[in-house]
Amino acid sequence: MTRAFTLAVARIRSRPARTALAAVGIAAAGAMAGAALTVSVALTTGFDRAADRADLPDVIARFNDRAPSVVDRRVRALPNLAARSLRLEITGVHLSGRGRRTGKGSLEVLVAGRRRGYAVVEGRDVSDRRGDEVVVERGLADQFGLHVGDKLHIGQITTRVVGIAVGPDNVAFPLARTARVYVPGGPLVRRFGPAPVNVAELWLRDPDKLDEVLTQARAVAYGLRDLRFITRGGVRATIDQAAGLIVALLVAFALVTLGAAALMLAASAQAEVQRRLRTIGVQRALGFSRGQVTLQHAVEGALVATPAACAGVALGALAASGPAGDLLATLNELPPGAALLPWLAGAALAIVVVVAGASAWPAWRAASRPPTEVMRGGDLGRPRRARKRVPAGRGYFALGARLASARRGRLAATVAALGAAVAVVLLMLSLAALLDRLKEDPALLGRRYQLTVAGSIADRHLIAQVPGVAAVGERYFVDGADAFALGQPVRLIAYPGDHTRFESPPLASGRRVAAPNEAEVGLGLAQALGLEVGTTLAVELQDGEARFRVVGIDRALDNEGRIAYVQPPRVVGADPGLLPSIAVRVAPGTDPNTVAARLTALGMPPQRAGGATTSNAAFLGVLADVLRVLAGLTAVVCLYALLQGLALTARERRGTVAVLRATGAGRRQVAALFTGAAVAAVVPALLVGVAVHQWLLAPAVAGMAAGYADLPVNAGAGELAIVALGLAALGLGAAAWMTRRAGREPVVVGLREE
Amino acid sequence: MRASGLVKAYGAGGARRRVLDGASLAVGPGELVAVVGPSGSGKSTLLHVIAGLDRVDAGTIEVAGAAVHRLGERALTRLRRDRIGLVFQAFHLVPELTGVENVVLPARANGGGAAGASRARALIERLGLAEAASRRPAELSGGEQQRLAIARALVNEPSLVLADEPTGNLDDAAGAAVLQLLRSVADGGRAVVLVTHDPRAGAVADRTLTLAEGRLQATRG
Repeated sequence: MTRAFTLAVARIRSRPARTALAAVGIAAAGAMAGAALTVSVALTTGFDRAADRADLPDVIARFNDRAPSVVDRRVRALPNLAARSLRLEITGVHLSGRGRRTGKGSLEVLVAGRRRGYAVVEGRDVSDRRGDEVVVERGLADQFGLHVGDKLHIGQITTRVVGIAVGPDNVAFPLARTARVYVPGGPLVRRFGPAPVNVAELWLRDPDKLDEVLTQARAVAYGLRDLRFITRGGVRATIDQAAGLIVALLVAFALVTLGAAALMLAASAQAEVQRRLRTIGVQRALGFSRGQVTLQHAVEGALVATPAACAGVALGALAASGPAGDLLATLNELPPGAALLPWLAGAALAIVVVVAGASAWPAWRAASRPPTEVMRGGDLGRPRRARKRVPAGRGYFALGARLASARRGRLAATVAALGAAVAVVLLMLSLAALLDRLKEDPALLGRRYQLTVAGSIADRHLIAQVPGVAAVGERYFVDGADAFALGQPVRLIAYPGDHTRFESPPLASGRRVAAPNEAEVGLGLAQALGLEVGTTLAVELQDGEARFRVVGIDRALDNEGRIAYVQPPRVVGADPGLLPSIAVRVAPGTDPNTVAARLTALGMPPQRAGGATTSNAAFLGVLADVLRVLAGLTAVVCLYALLQGLALTARERRGTVAVLRATGAGRRQVAALFTGAAVAAVVPALLVGVAVHQWLLAPAVAGMAAGYADLPVNAGAGELAIVALGLAALGLGAAAWMTRRAGREPVVVGLREE
Repeated sequence: MRASGLVKAYGAGGARRRVLDGASLAVGPGELVAVVGPSGSGKSTLLHVIAGLDRVDAGTIEVAGAAVHRLGERALTRLRRDRIGLVFQAFHLVPELTGVENVVLPARANGGGAAGASRARALIERLGLAEAASRRPAELSGGEQQRLAIARALVNEPSLVLADEPTGNLDDAAGAAVLQLLRSVADGGRAVVLVTHDPRAGAVADRTLTLAEGRLQATRG
């Protein structure tokens, strides 16, 4: 082992440039892995991490304002209760500070209980003895530029920010509609007398018995109006509505990216051994055993890979931590911090193992062959019979392509690595484009209406007569909870008659709604509640329960598929105060802005029906940034794979290049030669990458998302053009680099090699 | 071709050795000059510096009116392409290309693809290599490969042909045929410098020079 180590160190020191190039490639793959892991670990564990740190309650109950003593008496009667806190939530509060203001403040008055349900990430918590102290949520602090010690005006009252907190029971402001400010209840009670409460936070001894507690809570909740429960699981589902699908896709990217990185590392390590075939032959001739030769290459691979992998993984993690952190902040979640280190260390270790293994295996194979055969060079594989000549073009370009194609195994590895990277980049770009469209294009969600008007039903006929309006319809929209699993949110959308005139998500199974007792449910809801065609959907609404028979299942993207289309009678029956809006479908070829202007002129200003996440544009922008960072890293890896393949061809055909130069080939001809070699890899890689994306990755991702929606993740002409041009540019760049390197080498050196 | 006072040294410090130490040589059109000498005497180095593949430390070289020792890389490339033909001991044919493709390759470098191809075909006919033309080097004998390599050296109609041990890898019969071919190249009006160990070279050469201690000395006038 010591001798292997010494020999490996000596060889590394004797070829610093070669070692540096190999290390750069390993670092690039490490960066891919680091970035992919950072994003996936941060996002998949973000909610649990934030919920644990914030001590998020198992149940949050909201109701109309009641005296704390009344609520406390009911709450204490519940079984399985470990702790409770009571709050008064006042919304629509005007907040201002550091020159910014909003009317969307939500004052969270901490009336009773010691447990908070939020995590103070900067500064400290409020003291019950001081009335001018507040803790603000991080989203508000970021929007206003608030720091600990700053003043915050709540209406006319001036307070001091003593802490900044994360409350994972909702996404962050401004993604959430309200900006939360936590204030101590004691000073308010002392100054103004007893305050009511409208939120109860409950911590259970055994969270598995949640349903029993909720059932009991409903039983003892007489007198509490507008009672709504949200559970920790329900919070997670709500947060997932904003990010779950994309997070799942990012995790899928990470896996694909890691696979591509492993493939490249293996190809790269094999290329290194290929360069050293003669040395291996000499070593075997001098009496080195197969094991010694193999161990030496494994040690050498590990020595080069260890610092490179660590640096690459760290760089990738650093590059991705910014966008991932922004994403987590938007979701009111916390970055993994040191919890990410074991993952990154594991990735670095895996890379070292892959490189060492991929160095050892071809060395073992080479050492198994007769030393004289190995000393002659050639390919690692067994010599093949000469193939019949393949007709090809003439000139140096065609010759370069032939030289590259002569080593089929290596060309296949390069094409595979490049193709995988191309497929990943295409997927990322397609998804980034999809996110942009999600922001803008309601039709993507199956929405066929473009405008909504908050007018009365009587206005419907007036609106229908506006030029450019194709159809109008009443649209009811209400959020409830599943009556059997109260922690599961359900969104009901009701149209009188055929809802597909206005919203038409693809039908996955069953049929469309045709009667008031029927429902079409989204796949997301069907999966969450175990619904099938023929089962019953029972929804707890404001004043009762509404039951429907499931007749169809939709691939709806809206609300992550946790949605049900019904007809109005039963919804209105269970929530009599519910008012519809009027959905307006614009005639084909008519600009919705024109119709909107006409409606505004009539005194009925409409709202644009955006995508599912119109209010989440910033959030989607952050997601797109994450995707682009990953795509950029993957492009770097493409460049490396190309350089690696070309460098290996150049190294192996050093003598041929020297002969060509000796017989009159100038820089232009050598450039044509390397361009031909690059094209031999780039063109099939592009085809392979496009095929893998279109027929493997895109359907897989779409299939993964099929729980929620039909996602058009196939690459468009724009993405294909970007990737093709990018790959061509990388190929030309790599060829130029190799031409430059070859031109620097004296011709006689190459001739001696030949 | 005229070379005068050539000096080329390798190594550093105590290991520094002058391979060429004032060597001078002049070869005119239609002349075949054989350079002989022991292994390591600097014969190949002499050809390399004349062809501009390597630089001299001192001395002057003139090929077809161009001062090789003063030319930059681009000009040297042009000179090799248009005025110099090189023949190597190991043939150095590109294994992926057929015989005719190998021969025509230098012609493509100077943009004369079509004319070069017709010259290549004519050369191949003249050298009796018609059968070898469509086959790859691995399918050819050593003699056929070397004759193809000579055809490649001639395809751009150079004024100077430099042959480095062209018979070193050939059997007696093939070696003799190659020497005769080089003689005919010289008879065609080209200057030919032949570096060799082959004692038969003297029979075809106009002059034989011996390279010893870095200098060229006439063996036969």
